[in-house]
Amino acid sequence: MKEYLLNFPDAWQFNIGTAIDDWIKNFSRTHREILGFIKRSVITSIKSINELLSIIPWWLLILIVMLLGWRVSGKKRVGLLYGVMLFFIGSSGLWDHMLETLSIVIASVILSVLLGFPLGILLALNKRADGIVRPILDLMQTMPTFVYLVPAVILFSVGMTPALMATTIYAIVPMIRLTSHGINHVDTEVVEAAIAFGSTTLQSLVKVQIPQALPTIMAGVNQTIMMAMSMVVTCALIGANGLGMEILVATNRTEMGKALMPGICIVFIAIILDRLTQGFVDNKEYNTFFRRRPMR
Amino acid sequence: MSKDTVIRVEHITKLYGKNKSEAIQLMKNGADKDTVYKRTGVTVALWDVSFEVKRGEIFAIIGLSGSGKSTIIRCFNLLNKPTSGKIFFEGNDIEKFSKQEVLNYRRDRIAMVFQNFGLMSHRNVLDNVTYGLEVKKVPREEREQRGREMIEMVGLEGLEHQPISSLSGGMKQRVGLARALANDPGVLLMDEPFSALDPLVRRDMQFELLSIQGKLEKTVIFITHDINEAFKLGDTVAIMRDGKIIQIDTPENMSAKPADEYVRQFIDSADKTQVLSAKHVMVPPTCLVKPKDIPSQAIREMGANDVSTAYVVDDKMRFMGIITIDNAIRARNNGLPLPSLIDPDVHTCNEDTLINDIISLAAEAKYPLAVLDKENKLKGIISKATVLASL
Amino acid sequence: MLRRTTLLFVVLFGLLTIVGGCSGDADEIATVIITATDNGWDSQMLHNEIAKLIVENAYDGYEFEVSTGSSTMNWQAIIAGDVDLDIESWTDNVATYEDDKANGDIVDVGILVPDSAQGLYVPRYVIEGDSQRGIEPFAPDLRTVEDLKKYTDVFPDDEEPERGRVYGSIPGWMADEILYKKYEYYGLDESFNYVRLGSEATLFASLTGAYNLGEPWVGYCYEPTWITGKLDLVRLEDAPYDPDLYMDGKCSFPEQELKIVSSNKFADKAPDLLEFFKNYKTGSQLISQALAHLDDTGATHQETAVWILKENDHLLDEWLPAENAEKMRAYLDSIDNN
Repeated sequence: MKEYLLNFPDAWQFNIGTAIDDWIKNFSRTHREILGFIKRSVITSIKSINELLSIIPWWLLILIVMLLGWRVSGKKRVGLLYGVMLFFIGSSGLWDHMLETLSIVIASVILSVLLGFPLGILLALNKRADGIVRPILDLMQTMPTFVYLVPAVILFSVGMTPALMATTIYAIVPMIRLTSHGINHVDTEVVEAAIAFGSTTLQSLVKVQIPQALPTIMAGVNQTIMMAMSMVVTCALIGANGLGMEILVATNRTEMGKALMPGICIVFIAIILDRLTQGFVDNKEYNTFFRRRPMR
Repeated sequence: MSKDTVIRVEHITKLYGKNKSEAIQLMKNGADKDTVYKRTGVTVALWDVSFEVKRGEIFAIIGLSGSGKSTIIRCFNLLNKPTSGKIFFEGNDIEKFSKQEVLNYRRDRIAMVFQNFGLMSHRNVLDNVTYGLEVKKVPREEREQRGREMIEMVGLEGLEHQPISSLSGGMKQRVGLARALANDPGVLLMDEPFSALDPLVRRDMQFELLSIQGKLEKTVIFITHDINEAFKLGDTVAIMRDGKIIQIDTPENMSAKPADEYVRQFIDSADKTQVLSAKHVMVPPTCLVKPKDIPSQAIREMGANDVSTAYVVDDKMRFMGIITIDNAIRARNNGLPLPSLIDPDVHTCNEDTLINDIISLAAEAKYPLAVLDKENKLKGIISKATVLASL
Repeated sequence: MLRRTTLLFVVLFGLLTIVGGCSGDADEIATVIITATDNGWDSQMLHNEIAKLIVENAYDGYEFEVSTGSSTMNWQAIIAGDVDLDIESWTDNVATYEDDKANGDIVDVGILVPDSAQGLYVPRYVIEGDSQRGIEPFAPDLRTVEDLKKYTDVFPDDEEPERGRVYGSIPGWMADEILYKKYEYYGLDESFNYVRLGSEATLFASLTGAYNLGEPWVGYCYEPTWITGKLDLVRLEDAPYDPDLYMDGKCSFPEQELKIVSSNKFADKAPDLLEFFKNYKTGSQLISQALAHLDDTGATHQETAVWILKENDHLLDEWLPAENAEKMRAYLDSIDNN
C-alpha cells in the first residue's frame, strides 16, 4: 500500500511515445513529395535572400543602416553607433556568418508576418477561432524547442528547412497575438463610426481597424524579429550555419573567448534590428508615412 | 402613422445575458432591473420603449448613465439589435433590411456623432469628413469638394490637411459633425456629442448645432445627461430611467407637469447643475491701482487703459474697492490722499458663484463685478454685458 | 464552506502523516552520495544505471546520483571535484584529457568498454541494397572513406545538390577535428560539404530520418550506441590505425577504450567501491544489444540494466567480490518475486 501512495502506480502509466514515433516516420515516408517540395522552396527562398544580401557591398549596407538609424532616431550619433557596430562585426571576420544568420531570420520573419498577420486578424474577428488557436499559441511558446526539433529533422532533414520551421513556430506567436490585440483594441467608437457610416466588414478592416492597429502590429513584427534572433543558436543544433554555429562550436570546446565574439555580434544585430523597427512604431511622422498626399 | 413621422419605435426591449426568458418573466411581474440582474444575470438595457420622432425636430433623450439612452440610439442605425420590438424608418421595418439595404441606409439616411468623436487618427480632417462618401465610392474629386463645403460650414476652413491629433476637443467635434453632415442624411444621431467638451465650448457647439439645424432642417436624435442641454435644444424631450421611458413631452409641458417625483427632481436639478460659474466668464481686471499710488498715476493708468474706473488692491492683491476717474481728478486737484476716495461699496462675487446667481447682481451693478477668492484677493472682473450675453 | 475546507485539510494532513510514517524506517548509517556525469547519451545512461544498481544494492551506505549536463561542463565539474565519476568517458574526445591527468585533476579508474569504435558509417542498404524494403544498392563498390569521392551524387546536399554531404561529428569533440582533417586529406572537400550538427540528438535524428526513407546517408557515428545496435550500419574502412598519423586524419580511429574516470577525491571518498569500478567492464556488442532491446521494448534504462545483469549473471563474479556478488544476486531475485 505504501508503494502506491508514495509513487505513481506503474499500472496507471501509459506510453504513446512509440505510436507517435511510428506515425511521424510513416508520415515522412508517405508524404515524401510534398515534404520535398516544401524543403526545396524553403531552401531556394533562403538562398535567394542570402544572395541578395551578399550582392550589397559591405560598405553600402553599413551606410544604409547608418542612414536609417539617423532618420529613425533623429540623432546622428545613433546612426554612427550602428555603423561602428556593423564595422565591428565585419572586422571580427564574421560578416558572412552574419549574412547567413540574417537570411534565416529574415525568411522566418517574412513567413511569420505572412501567416501571422491574417491569422491575427481572423482571431480578432472570430471568437471561435480565437478559442481554438490561443491554447495552441501557448503551447508553441512554452513547448521546449528540442521536442519539435527532432521530428522536424526527421521530416525535413537537417539544415535551413527545420531551422526555418522551428524559428517560425517560435517567432510567429507575438505576430499573431499583437495583430489580434491591436485589432481588438481599436477605440470602440472609431470602429462604431466606421460601421455607422456604412462600411462593409472589409472596408472597416482595411480603412480603419488595420491602420489604427498598425503601431501594435508593428510592435508584433519587432517582437517577432527579436524572438527569431533568439533562436539562432538553437538552429545551429540542426545544422544551420551562421553566427549560431560559431557559438556552438566554440562553447562545445569551452573556448569562451571565441564564443563571445559571435555572441556580441548577435547582440549588436538584435539591438540594431530592434531599434530600427521600434523607431518605426514610435516615430511621430509614422502616420504621415501612411497618409495619402492631398490632391489639389 | 402620421406622414411626417420619421422614426417610430414600437415596444423595443434589449437584454444582455443568457437566461432571457426568465428575465422577461420577472420584468413582467414588476421586478426592477437590479433584482433581475441578481436573480438571472441578465442586464435589462431597454424595456418596452415606444415613441415617435417627427421630421425636422430635435428629439432629446435624457437620462443618467445606465438608463439605456446609449443603447437605444445604437438601435436606430443597427449598431445594436433589439431583443424584441420593432423600429420603423419612414414606415419600413429596419430589421427586415437586407445586408445591402442596411449599408445604403447607413450611408444615405442616418449618420452619427459620437461622444468621444470617434475620429480616425490616421486620417486628416478632410479624409475623416469624407469617410462616409469614400465607403460608398463617391469619386474623389466630388467627395473632397463636398468635404470642403462641410468643413467650411462648421468653421474649420484651412484645417483640411491637419492631423486629428492637432485639434482641440471642440474642433474635433466639429469634424465629427461635418463628417455626419457630409452624407446629407435625413437623420442625425448624436450620442452625448458635447459632454466631453468644456462648458464654454459646449455652449458654442449647441449654438452651432441650432444654427445648422435651422439651415438644413435635419431630424436630430440627441442624447444627453444634462437637463439644461435637453431643454435648450430639444423640441421634444424623453426622460429615461433603468431602460424605460418615463415621460415624453415638450420642455414647457414637462416643467409644468412632471410625470412623477423622479422627473420633478431632474427638472429641479436643472438650475443647480448650471455649469457656468464666475470663473468661466471673468476677465482679468484691466486697471489696477495701489492705495499708496499718487492720484496722477492712477489717472494716467486709467487713461492708458481707456477706462473710467480702477480697482484698488493692497500689496497682497486684496480687494479694497474702486476709484472712479472723477474722484481721482478730485484728489489730484484738492491734494487729497487716494484711499479717502475709494468706494468700497462694489458688488463682488466668488469664483464659483454660478452665472444664474450673478444675473441679479449684474443687473443692478454700476460697475463690473469684482470676482474674489476666499482671501479676498481680486481674481477678475465680470461686466454686465458678459453676464447677459452668456445666457 | 469554511468547515468543509478545514475538514479537507485535516484529512490531507492525516494522510500525509500516515505516508510519512510508512516511509520513516530511517537509515541509521549516514549515506555517502556518489555522483556520476550524465552527458545525455544512451549508453552512458545505461552504464550509470548498472552502476547505480550495484552501488546501492551490493554495498551498504551509498547512494548514486547523476549530474546531467553537457560533456564539457561535466568534465569541468569532475576537475573541480564536484562530480565523482565519468563512467564511459570518451577521453579521446576530450581535448584536455592528457593535461588534466598529468596535473592530477582526474584519475583513470578502469576501462569500461575496451572495443568502442567511431568513424564514418553508412546504412548497409547503401552498399548491398535491401530486397525486403525494395532498395537497390546505391553504391555497390563503396568500401573505404576514399571511395566516397566516386559517389558524390549518391549523397547529395539538399541545399547544394551538385555537391555531396557528409555529416561530421559533434562540434567541439576531438573526433570532429580529426574527421575534418580526414575529409580534407582524402580530397572530399572538393565535392562534399562537411555538415556539423549541434548535438547527438539531431545527428541521430538525421540518420534515423534517412534510414526510415531508405535514403543514402554518410556521416559520423560511434559504438556502442543504441543506433548502432538498432540500425544495420557499416563502418567505412580506412588505413590501419597508426598513432602518428591518426591525429591528422590519415588513418582509421583506434578501437577506443572508453574509460571510467574519477575526480582525484573519489578514492578517499569511497575506497570500497574502487574495486568494483576497476573491474566494471562491458563491451561494444553487449551494450549495443542492450540499447536495441531498450529501444524495441520501450523499457527504461533502469529496467534494461536489470535485464542485462540477469541475462549475464557471470558479470557479477567478474566485477564484484564474492560476498557483494551474492548480495547482488539476492537483490535481483527479490525484484523477480515482486
